Amino acid sequence: MAQVVLREVVKTYGNLYAVNHVSLTVEDGEFVALVGPSGCGKTTTLNLVAGLMPISGGDIYIGDTLVNDLDPKDRDIAMVFQNYALYPNKTVFQNLAFPLKMRKLAKPDIERKVMEAAKVLDIVHLLKRLPRELSGGQQQRVALGRALVRDPKVFLMDEPLSNLDAKLRVQMRSELKRFQRDLSATVIYVTHDQLEAVTMADKMAVMSGGVLQQYDSPAQVFDNPVNTFVASFVGSPAMSLVPLTAVTRGTDMSLQSPEGWNLSLSPANARKALSASSDKIVLGARHSTVRLHKQASPGAVPGKVYTVEPTGDITFVQVYLGAAVVVVSLEPSVAISPDEPVWIEFDQNKMHLFDGETTMALKAA
Amino acid sequence: MTSTLADTSRSAARKPIDWWRWSGRVFLLFLLIFTVLPMAWMVLTSLKSQFAAMQYPPQWWPAEPTLENYRKLLDPSNSVGHEFLQYFWNSLYVSVATTILGVVVAVPAAYAFSRFRFPGRTFLFFAVLVRNMFPAVVFLMPLFLLMRRLGLVGTHTSLILTYLTFGLPLSIWLLKGFYDNIPIQLEQAARIDGATRFQAFYMIVLPLSSPGIIATSIFSFIGAWNEYVYAVTFLNNKDKLTLPVGIQRYFTEFATDWPGLMAATFLMSVPVVVLFLVLQKYFVRALTEGAVKS
Repeated sequence: MAQVVLREVVKTYGNLYAVNHVSLTVEDGEFVALVGPSGCGKTTTLNLVAGLMPISGGDIYIGDTLVNDLDPKDRDIAMVFQNYALYPNKTVFQNLAFPLKMRKLAKPDIERKVMEAAKVLDIVHLLKRLPRELSGGQQQRVALGRALVRDPKVFLMDEPLSNLDAKLRVQMRSELKRFQRDLSATVIYVTHDQLEAVTMADKMAVMSGGVLQQYDSPAQVFDNPVNTFVASFVGSPAMSLVPLTAVTRGTDMSLQSPEGWNLSLSPANARKALSASSDKIVLGARHSTVRLHKQASPGAVPGKVYTVEPTGDITFVQVYLGAAVVVVSLEPSVAISPDEPVWIEFDQNKMHLFDGETTMALKAA
Repeated sequence: MTSTLADTSRSAARKPIDWWRWSGRVFLLFLLIFTVLPMAWMVLTSLKSQFAAMQYPPQWWPAEPTLENYRKLLDPSNSVGHEFLQYFWNSLYVSVATTILGVVVAVPAAYAFSRFRFPGRTFLFFAVLVRNMFPAVVFLMPLFLLMRRLGLVGTHTSLILTYLTFGLPLSIWLLKGFYDNIPIQLEQAARIDGATRFQAFYMIVLPLSSPGIIATSIFSFIGAWNEYVYAVTFLNNKDKLTLPVGIQRYFTEFATDWPGLMAATFLMSVPVVVLFLVLQKYFVRALTEGAVKS
């Protein structure tokens, strides 16, 4: 296993930056998830690391080797694809043996290693079958097995779980995490599902528009999103964002909505708001930090219930604050119905403030 | 969902469906007669003697079926058989050479059109097609002049080159569609697993595209095997004639030997039919591949 370093990596198509100066370091034995919406450049970044497409600028190191101009076969990597990419005309055994065969291992060694990997993944009984005779979950295991038979420097995974049904996905998620832990493997894992990233990764790299937005532990990304994009992408349901205007009256500072209500800020939050580039401020709040009142209450602002979504142990309520939607989580026992007028109270210690112009998180000056 | 839909519509709309089905069957039957009858007549006539073939009203069924015509054609010791076998051999040579060269060129070309982005790709791809927008005869004189310049008139090479230019566009299009349907991830996986780009193509993609290659081979073989206009224009030496020309020239030179002609035509269709029967499994797969996601 080895460290992977991306330094100012660029991939362009004409004038379009698919990957825009991305720098990040994946430590040896670390599980890193590249997340972002489709088209954000995460798969392109992975393909650049794999060497499946030429790099337009920057450097990629795997271990101590600069791999910019190396063929995929010379990078000592293994990859699991979203559609598994099992060789349809080869049996499971031949699929697993292929990477070893290409590296000219002796036949007994190949058989031993294939059997080892097959045992770990519990697919020994499938070795004689063709990929099309397997279920989706079995194909997934074989694809994983083809990566595991070798001892590569880094595992690359391109949405390996997204073709599985929901139940199997949750199961494979924990198995995959377990394998990674047991092998102390370096893994770069691409997914559009932030939940997968949060649950599995040691670090997550959130990408948007080819730009790396934030690279940190899932807890850090969740607690301190650097901008409104990360805030709204990570977490389920996403962080609610309310665009407001900062108003100063004497020493007090408050946020004013287009509808006219005011939300006074604590001194700490007021200092944050002061560092904004304009008076446009975006207020961000996770559902769990927002309280809902059925009567007007001091510090709470008026809104109207839009939908009520019971999930069993938690009920999510979407509340319209003017044009913005705020998600609140409630005990299932609370009776509430759409179109009911309600009052929303934000937790001053847990709210996030973002610059309305630059979308960046505001820090106390 | 579909079954319940069919169930409810069956009772309500039983008659119109049957009516359509029956008119379809009648149409197919008519089509079958239309295509099979000439061939049946060809076989029947080939089994008659010259005298029986000329009778009027015709003998629907040969009174004294004879294989004499076939024996004559397949016996190299008599002049008719000698010439027929020579033509047959010529045709086989030209068609097989066209097919092999066609595959050798079309496979990498189609793969490149499918996988690589290079300057002029779209232009080239459609330029390949433009050839097919004109009737073949339009190119007869220019190609003849070209072949004369190259000193190839009267050679089989001139025909092979010509058939290649006609067969390749279709082959490339068909194969490109085939390669488009093979997920690129298969090659990427192979390259990561330690294969070079060429090995990935050779070990993974090529075996998967064999049905497509077989289908295009059949197309180019049949095209070359049946071609007449260019063969009759480019070839002047009697020893070099291909079957369509040879049959036409030889058998109409004097009084037409209808049974002999029919026997020769039948023998000419044998390789195509055999080829088709042996390979039809791949052929059908090639033309329907990609219709359903595997």
